Amino acid sequence: MSHIDPQVHRVLDGEIPADELNAAQREQLAALTRAAHALSALPRASVAARVMAEVRRPPQGAGVRLAHWLTERHAVTISFRPVWSLALAAALAAVAVIPGHGPGPVIGDQEGIAQFVGRFPGAKSVDVVGSFTDWRSGAVMLRDDDHDGIWRGTVVLPVGQHEYMFVVDGERWVTDPLAGRYVDDGFGRQNALLFVRSIAR
Amino acid sequence: MNLRRSIVLLLAAASPLASQGARDRLAGRVPPATLGVLDSIVQDAARDGLPTEPLIQKALEGGAKGVAADRIVAAVGASADQLRSARALLSSAGESRPSDPGEVTAVAAALSRGVSPQLVGRLSTALPGEPAGPALHAVADLVGHGFAEDSSVDLMVEGARLGLRGLRFLDVAAAAVQELQRGRSHAAALAAVRALLPQVPTPPRPAPAAVSHARRVQSSHERP
Repeated sequence: MSHIDPQVHRVLDGEIPADELNAAQREQLAALTRAAHALSALPRASVAARVMAEVRRPPQGAGVRLAHWLTERHAVTISFRPVWSLALAAALAAVAVIPGHGPGPVIGDQEGIAQFVGRFPGAKSVDVVGSFTDWRSGAVMLRDDDHDGIWRGTVVLPVGQHEYMFVVDGERWVTDPLAGRYVDDGFGRQNALLFVRSIAR
Repeated sequence: MNLRRSIVLLLAAASPLASQGARDRLAGRVPPATLGVLDSIVQDAARDGLPTEPLIQKALEGGAKGVAADRIVAAVGASADQLRSARALLSSAGESRPSDPGEVTAVAAALSRGVSPQLVGRLSTALPGEPAGPALHAVADLVGHGFAEDSSVDLMVEGARLGLRGLRFLDVAAAAVQELQRGRSHAAALAAVRALLPQVPTPPRPAPAAVSHARRVQSSHERP
């Protein structure tokens, strides 16, 4: 802050005439006088008047308000509990790590869906073995996710005729009792006979 | 060179290839002592223009089920005989594609389900230019549930006359069995389905969730 000379101060207070000032003091007095004139030129509206002026201003359109809202800076406050943050992080990690089922396989015109269901309480594994696996084990393993003894599986197969049997616990060959259509296997047992239709039918 | 001679030469050329493929697929899957005999059965079938895949499948099945060697050979031989019978029946019935592997295999399977050979001719006549296999299996389905063979064939012939084809014949049989399960007599069940023809219900399509969970069988072999 600049210091006002005491003599200049006395002139401003009207105690002494300006003639008693030296050149430097006169220059300071002139600067102060110019500043005073500049301040007196500013509008002197009261706070109430300025508020009422804002109130009377015509309302802006929704688009203008939205544009202002989008371009202005906003302060956002987020409150959280650390325990929920940890749970959310764990859920996101699970989604990233555990493979999902997605849209499923692409199925051609000459392919269809076969669903196998069998009731085998206490079984450790149930396998569907048939002409569509070249009679090899392990290609179509059924699942019993809820441990209710009902084993299920769904596979994509070529359209047409197929024969199969269930293999329980890797050694017991069982005819599907729900197939409804059977053919002698030539070895003293019956294979289930399955006709697969095109998914595009 | 006439057509018949060309076909015989082609089949003769193809049979060693079929045999080599059969040996490769059977090696390690059937008792070693049976390999030579099974190979000759497959080679004979290929030479005769029969589908060989059902024979290979029967041998693989016997090996997977731990069946004794002589029973595997007997079963594969019986399958070859059945394929020959099926092909002969299709030819004598004037079937337009008597050597179609899928059709011969389907008819052979129907014969092994107890369908009488005479039916092949009757259904082939009712379905000119169309495979008779599904209709034969539909008759076998009905006979298996106690329906008379003649009435069952009549129902299929009527379905064919009204435009049904292919696996839709299995839907006719399923509709009749369903009527039976509702408590109708065999005659009433057939009459009810005959009144529905050709609009018998189709089986429900698999749910999208089931389709999306379906797995592809990795070790399946391309079959004719």
